Amino acid sequence: MRQAQPGLPAFDYECPDTYEEVYRALTQDANGSKALGGGTDLFVQMRDGAREVHHIVDLKSLPGIHGIEDVDGGVRFGAATPLNIIGKDERVNTKLPMLSEAIETIASYQLRNRATLGGNLCNASPAADTAPSMLVLEATMHVSGPDGERELPILEWFQGPGAQALKQGEILKAVTVHFPPEGSRGTYLKLGRNASGDLAIVGVAGLLLPDKSQASGYEIRLALASVAPTPIRVPAAEKLLSEKGLTAETMSAAAELAMDAAKPIDDTRASAAYRKAMVRTYTLKVLERLAGVEKEVS
Amino acid sequence: MTQTETASLIGASKKRIDAREKVTGEAIFTDDLAFGPGLLYGRVVRSPHAHAKVLRVDTSKAEKMPGVRAIVTGEDSGEHIGLYLKDRYIFCRDRTRYVGDPVAGVVADTEEHAELACRAIDVEYEPLDAILSPLDGIKPDAELLHPDLGSYVVADFIDPKPGTNIANHFKVRKGDVSSAWDQCKVIVEREFTVPHIQHVPLETHIAVARVEQDGKIVLWSSSQSPFAQRNLIAEAMGMSQSDLRVISPYVGGGFGSKAGVSVEGIAVAMARKVPGHPVKMRLTREEEFYCSFVRQGLVARTKVGAAEDGELLAMKTEYYWDAGAYTEYGVNITRASGYSSTGPYRIPNVEADSYCVYTNHPVGGPMRGFGMPEIHWGIEQIMDIVADELGMDNAEFRLKNCLQGGDHNVTGMLMHPIGLSECIEKASKAIKWGVDEPASKPGWKRGKGLAIMWKAPAMPPNAGSSAWVRLNEDATVSLGVGGQEIGQGTFTVAAQMAAEALGVPFEWIKISRPVDTEYSPYEWQTVASRLTWSMGNAIVAAAKDARRQILELAAAHLGEDIDDLDVRDGQVVSYRSEETIPLKNMVVYGLPMEDDQGWRGGPIIGNGKFMPSYVTSLNNETGQGKRAVVHYTTGCQAVDLEVEVATGKIHMNKISSAFDVGKAINPDQVHAQMEGGIIQGASTAIFEALVMKDGVPQNPSFTDYRIATSVDIPDEIETIIVEVPQDDGPFGARGVGEHPMVPTAPAIANALSNAAGIRIFEMPLTAEKVFFALEEARKKESE
Amino acid sequence: MSMHEVNIEVNGVQYQRYVQSNMTLLTFLREELGLTGAKCGCETGECGACTVMMDGAPVNSCLVLAVEAIGAEIVTVEGLAKDGRLDPLQDAFIDHTGTQCGFCTPGILIAARALLDRNPTPTDEEIREALRGNLCRCTGYVRIIDAVKAAAKVEA
Repeated sequence: MRQAQPGLPAFDYECPDTYEEVYRALTQDANGSKALGGGTDLFVQMRDGAREVHHIVDLKSLPGIHGIEDVDGGVRFGAATPLNIIGKDERVNTKLPMLSEAIETIASYQLRNRATLGGNLCNASPAADTAPSMLVLEATMHVSGPDGERELPILEWFQGPGAQALKQGEILKAVTVHFPPEGSRGTYLKLGRNASGDLAIVGVAGLLLPDKSQASGYEIRLALASVAPTPIRVPAAEKLLSEKGLTAETMSAAAELAMDAAKPIDDTRASAAYRKAMVRTYTLKVLERLAGVEKEVS
Repeated sequence: MTQTETASLIGASKKRIDAREKVTGEAIFTDDLAFGPGLLYGRVVRSPHAHAKVLRVDTSKAEKMPGVRAIVTGEDSGEHIGLYLKDRYIFCRDRTRYVGDPVAGVVADTEEHAELACRAIDVEYEPLDAILSPLDGIKPDAELLHPDLGSYVVADFIDPKPGTNIANHFKVRKGDVSSAWDQCKVIVEREFTVPHIQHVPLETHIAVARVEQDGKIVLWSSSQSPFAQRNLIAEAMGMSQSDLRVISPYVGGGFGSKAGVSVEGIAVAMARKVPGHPVKMRLTREEEFYCSFVRQGLVARTKVGAAEDGELLAMKTEYYWDAGAYTEYGVNITRASGYSSTGPYRIPNVEADSYCVYTNHPVGGPMRGFGMPEIHWGIEQIMDIVADELGMDNAEFRLKNCLQGGDHNVTGMLMHPIGLSECIEKASKAIKWGVDEPASKPGWKRGKGLAIMWKAPAMPPNAGSSAWVRLNEDATVSLGVGGQEIGQGTFTVAAQMAAEALGVPFEWIKISRPVDTEYSPYEWQTVASRLTWSMGNAIVAAAKDARRQILELAAAHLGEDIDDLDVRDGQVVSYRSEETIPLKNMVVYGLPMEDDQGWRGGPIIGNGKFMPSYVTSLNNETGQGKRAVVHYTTGCQAVDLEVEVATGKIHMNKISSAFDVGKAINPDQVHAQMEGGIIQGASTAIFEALVMKDGVPQNPSFTDYRIATSVDIPDEIETIIVEVPQDDGPFGARGVGEHPMVPTAPAIANALSNAAGIRIFEMPLTAEKVFFALEEARKKESE
Repeated sequence: MSMHEVNIEVNGVQYQRYVQSNMTLLTFLREELGLTGAKCGCETGECGACTVMMDGAPVNSCLVLAVEAIGAEIVTVEGLAKDGRLDPLQDAFIDHTGTQCGFCTPGILIAARALLDRNPTPTDEEIREALRGNLCRCTGYVRIIDAVKAAAKVEA
């Protein structure tokens, strides 16, 4: 039973200001080097011995890795942008309020001044709180590495618990999100042990977008955190709702489908059985909120 | 008792005298002390097994590693140590008994060096079968965790059973329980369980020890018990108490975890290997959860019977305490629980057996309440069930059966006057008891519940306090105490009592700190909610002694009768001649005699002590005795909560709390204690358990051991002070530090039952547990 | 292990030191500079006892490397008082018994200071949410919240 040690283990640190240096540093000692964003996951893991890191490559001096830029019909988040910066950005608050909502649920204000969007998505915990929103918003991941730059849809990003699509030497450089059309509504609700600020036992994001090509006139997207090896979308529930719209029956049925899609495990935080039941409860809450008929603000 | 006419400082909510340095960051805690470049660091190799023989400890690789200065093992860390039962070694010798049991220690230049060297120490263990529950521990064929139990030095009021895993068995046999059942209209029998939890002080355990070349030791520690640490460690090391000096700065939270000895012995054992160097031993947060003290776990089987009119007639209790690997402190928790097993009720026929059982779990030790939160979890729920089955209102049931002054309690002790009934009335009124109020949102159910409690300071019959009062030239007063400021406001209240008893302004009192066994007067321990009462008495005695010396000097100087003189507002006043003498200077230099014939007086130091004289032993077989304890503090908490059916989440609307403190010396601080206790109690009720699997703690970190944060507190808290004076308390005061966390969990459980008709007998009431209980109840209803 | 020269401003004073890469900002403040106000409570960013202000934003200094703070402006609890006058929050904590054992107090004061800096008129709810990253085991938070409210009034 390896104990968490006091302080951090020894490592070399560098803070390159070019991407080439970063790629070199990350490929040189491939197994022992790690990119540093906010450090709020990495340092904890290093103390625990969960990660052996000899070489830390701080990304925060790289040009273009910080900040929020306007792009055509959306925004581009630098991967090393702290969550609070994103959460209080006016564009995010007006056009992507569900992302602000999701960020608000994370840990504490102090932690969110360091924790980055890129870090949350690269750490790729199944419980990552920005993930469900990003999944329903269908964000695009901008990766750069020794072999050049590439883009991939977030739907291809998560590979398993703690694993994502980065190859050796690559880093996540930015995430772009297109604003959903006028009349869209989105929300993220999460169940933890404390009233707020805890890791998710269950997290549910829902997005409703006007879409004339759908039978109901809307496309509804749903994503779940903490109940599968990765954060997941729920296509079966989405199909039903997009076809039939949000009624008491469809919302209830969709919640059941979401529950079926969830494959949670037993852990210290909650049992699989409870998680399953809460997927249903929270999916229903999210859908009721999208439909404007929520019973309560929780 | 002579007092100034206006008791202006007693009952005054003076601002805390330590507040300023705490808000500026100047307050010194043990890790803030600078020890210079000679400081070395200690880290400990801990057993990964719940139970194992130690076959071989190979330190050869570690010895050669960079920065390593010394290595300590069981062979050179003294003899058995313990407060009430000496059953553990500072470092294990041939056996480890819990995951985390110290096996070897490394002293090195940095924590990092020490940590790496620890990993290079090779220990060969032979795992043994582990006892993971007290019910397994008491089985006749159970593996003996302490085969030498019979040879351990033990306090005479503890009753171990050698040849078993029972470190203490306390019995009550009062009246005739077996015949009494026949007269009962309602009999309820239930089993309750309480898991291990931890105190979670914000400051983890820390100690720094330095051994001088002549063998004398100085120990700086975050400690509730400087004198007890001195005593116990000296004994274990074969030293005299005065050769070990303990200095304790401010304590960043204790809640009992920093009483007795835990890491301090380790620091001393390490320091002995590197004379002249201070050695710092601090626990990481992860280690804090299971390597210092935890609260004992409990399996309680309780049977209660009441007559048709609601009068309690009989109670039978068995407590099986999951006391952990060493019970040196925990044995007294099980005793205190035994003699408190009825709760604050009048019950004529009582049978109780409280077993302190060794298990291969972390060391159970004192935690706020000392067994009371654990036992009231069951007592107050079962009383609710009895009341329900009788069709009686829960508050009415308590009022009918609760102890009053003049009653004889479970040990046969005559109860002093107590304000418990008043507490019940006020606490219940504060949440509009009896008024059914609707839930605030659909999908939620609302309910109200209450719980009452009692607790006496659990300590040896001769636990003493002392104090000194030294007047300074500027008429300020240095007050020496041995009691510790652990957040409860001791220093402030001590100053109030000293100022009041002496007759000087509050601001003139300066607490001499840090507590240092070299200079501070003896104090048994800062535990048991005993300081305001016991140390307070000593302070008042010391202040009066100083006052007497001042008045004698003044009387001689003025040629007046001492009875016409008083000390008030920092000067001597004569009621007869209206002469005044300021205290300045005279309290050190004395006063000149007439006609230059010399001087009278000299530096004034008052001293005082207090030790209760009247605590008697209890009969081994019956638990009866004239006076089991010094006194009881009683109280009641009432809870108004809502539960969300779809999730099991509990939301607390309001918690009200009423305690009889005898006399609130500083009402603000009493309210603050009540608020803190409520939240700590609520936190344990809803979140907390040290999850153990095969003896391995599963959640030793804040990530998965959750405590209440600012968003988890009730919407409203109302704290009510009741004052029925304590006859031998200073100004009538008795303690209240622990009590506010005792009834919270059962009050919440009772409110939950009222809200949703479910009862859960295993703490904590996590949302998951509540949710499934609600589901189960719904299924049963539809069947 | 790499060694780095760091230039960090703390409470208005420029410091230049040479530190190991794995030294946290918390350890730097406490052991390198002797500013022991910020406390170590968990080393995992959960308890908030180490909270300091970094470029105007409260952070858990146990999860910031000293080398990451090069060029930053740090404010610790020792830097809250100005010219011998306590910050209104500090006064309020004294007046409202917002501190008991005092171990969480420095971190809470910085978190509260940051709150009032960004939101001078917080509701009770906003205060609770802003402080949820600061654990307190003694007070039950009640008087801490009262103190923050009182300070906000004074500053208004």
